[in-house]
Amino acid sequence: MTTGPVPTKRIRKVLIANRGEIAVRVIRACRELGIRTVAIYSEPDRLGLPVLLADEAYPIGPAPSRESYLRAEAIVELAVKVGADAIHPGYGFLSERAGFARLCRDAGVTFIGPSPESIDAMGSKVESRRLMIKAGVPVVPGGQDPLPDLESAAAFAEQIGYPVMIKASAGGGGKGMRHVERAADLASAYRAARSEAGASFGDDSVYIEKYIVDPRHVEIQVMGDLHGRVVSLGERECSLQRRHQKVVEEAPSPAVTPELRRRMGAAAVMAASAVGYSNAGTCEFLLAKDGNFYFLEMNTRLQVEHPVTELVTGIDLVHTQIRVAEGEPLGAEFDDIQPHGHAIEVRLYAEDPYNRFTPSPGRIVRLRLPEGPGIRNDCGVYEGSEVSIHYDPMLAKLIVWAADREHALRRLERALGELRVEGIRTNVPLFRALLADADFRSGNMDIGMLDRKMAAGELKPAEDTDSLADLPIIAAALAHHEQANRTIGGPAASAGRRSVWAAAARREALRGGSWS
Amino acid sequence: MELIARHGERTEKVRVRRQGAGYEVVVGDRVYQVDAANGGIGDIGGVRSLLIDGAQHEVSARLDGEDWIVSGRHGAAAVSITDPLTHLAAQTRGGKGGKRHRKVAAYMPGRVVAVLVQEGETVTTGQGVIVLEAMKMENEIRAETDGTIAKIFVQPGQAVDTGTPLFELD
Repeated sequence: MTTGPVPTKRIRKVLIANRGEIAVRVIRACRELGIRTVAIYSEPDRLGLPVLLADEAYPIGPAPSRESYLRAEAIVELAVKVGADAIHPGYGFLSERAGFARLCRDAGVTFIGPSPESIDAMGSKVESRRLMIKAGVPVVPGGQDPLPDLESAAAFAEQIGYPVMIKASAGGGGKGMRHVERAADLASAYRAARSEAGASFGDDSVYIEKYIVDPRHVEIQVMGDLHGRVVSLGERECSLQRRHQKVVEEAPSPAVTPELRRRMGAAAVMAASAVGYSNAGTCEFLLAKDGNFYFLEMNTRLQVEHPVTELVTGIDLVHTQIRVAEGEPLGAEFDDIQPHGHAIEVRLYAEDPYNRFTPSPGRIVRLRLPEGPGIRNDCGVYEGSEVSIHYDPMLAKLIVWAADREHALRRLERALGELRVEGIRTNVPLFRALLADADFRSGNMDIGMLDRKMAAGELKPAEDTDSLADLPIIAAALAHHEQANRTIGGPAASAGRRSVWAAAARREALRGGSWS
Repeated sequence: MELIARHGERTEKVRVRRQGAGYEVVVGDRVYQVDAANGGIGDIGGVRSLLIDGAQHEVSARLDGEDWIVSGRHGAAAVSITDPLTHLAAQTRGGKGGKRHRKVAAYMPGRVVAVLVQEGETVTTGQGVIVLEAMKMENEIRAETDGTIAKIFVQPGQAVDTGTPLFELD
């Protein structure tokens, strides 16, 4: 479908309506394309990495997102005032608000993302499900229509096949929900669900959906241009989630064959085309053990985990987003994209995985990112920077690439060994534990696995064979010893090479005010 | 001098003395020859290389209150090093018989969302006392032992800093 000529509007200056690592990611892409960058920052983000890297930066309000990064009107006004011809929304914040995309359009500022109409269409679960069914995209079988009696419920369950899930129409929080394995159990489950729904919500109507047993979360990256062409860039496996939040992502999925990739890609392209989609987007699917897949929702923005797709396709998604927004058609490099090698991303969060995932804000007193072959760091912080209590605790993404999955896992292990983040707690120990987990190693995952293993206490901090149990005590004892000698000016200090005195003298020299 | 090291559940006797260009460190009955080089303890970015019987270990140690936070490849560990007298005194204070008041302080800056118990109320281990919000997440501060809430220092809505006393448990 060609919609006639689309005027090309060159983008020369982009305002990034975001913070942290994704703002840095977009700034990098703009630099590479010779586009000027404008950062916005809330009060605590004045010294954030995006501000340090951007060409221009403007304050947008105090710490709470509502009063800063979510001020749609103020952000669009600022873009107009500073002469930015486009806005990149990143992910989160305003990225999936159709109203924001509309404000941009009305102000004559290019929104680097889909049209407000596409965002709207995919924004509602009910509406998008209806559209997908109409477009022939598979969705989880079932109906939102209430089933008034046991007979209609039994007939419906039979039609979609067991196991099924009975859900309360007014539901939420697991109340009025019953998982039914076989027809013989339906009657009691149906009655229980209705009475529980009635007691909890004052409305005892229920509906039935097919229950997908331990599915994987597999999503398809799509890209559409303004000329009606939509392509698939292949899948990402995102089954490792903690309470629905992705923790590890990889491409390709260990469960997806070339044939399945082709079918899922085609379904995602159909889904996107059904809403006239342009720019980057992601169709999320549940992949059942039997190879059937079901559309969940479409994320109408760039995803956190986009780098794994970039590494296996060689396509820069942010460059493409900008080019497409300018009106360029997708070129021949987008024909029949196949993954090359294997990429894995881990999300580094400032939280303690072994203390109920308690957030750990504070100052990063030491940061060493891994380097060397096949390593990519998308990092939003730096050594000495402060991790604020006001925003999402994701600090950075560590992404590795290698020729195949086994080598990518080994590379990830090597990279985590080089990484140092000190001063705050991070979830790195959890990744080390996952790398020692047989299911993860063999690619055997489903969306409930991480929560199940954590609850069962299976992913304990990994004990390395080469580690020395007394190491923390030895290090602390030495530090204590040297500190005691430093305080009293004892003999060890004068005897020591590279002594603390030398360090003190160096610091003193630095205080002298010269740059040397 | 012999010192007492505590790391999690472990308590060990430790001795450090210079030996040649390095140190001899004795932990319990285990003797280690250690060559230590560092870029300034306690400095930001300070790196310490410990060659223990030839094997390389990269660690940093920073004093945080009374504990040394030792960071390495495997994450961070809190280790306290005390002389035997201080250790003994602490044990007596914390031991049976003596009445213990324990002040629980905020371990991170945030906002008090809710206070779940009242002063004078009896609580059991693991029971939620205060809900703190930070980084868009709510975190329950729970009682670490059975006891009575002697005092509550904060109110819902109040902003707290690291170290702000939250409640006292008897």
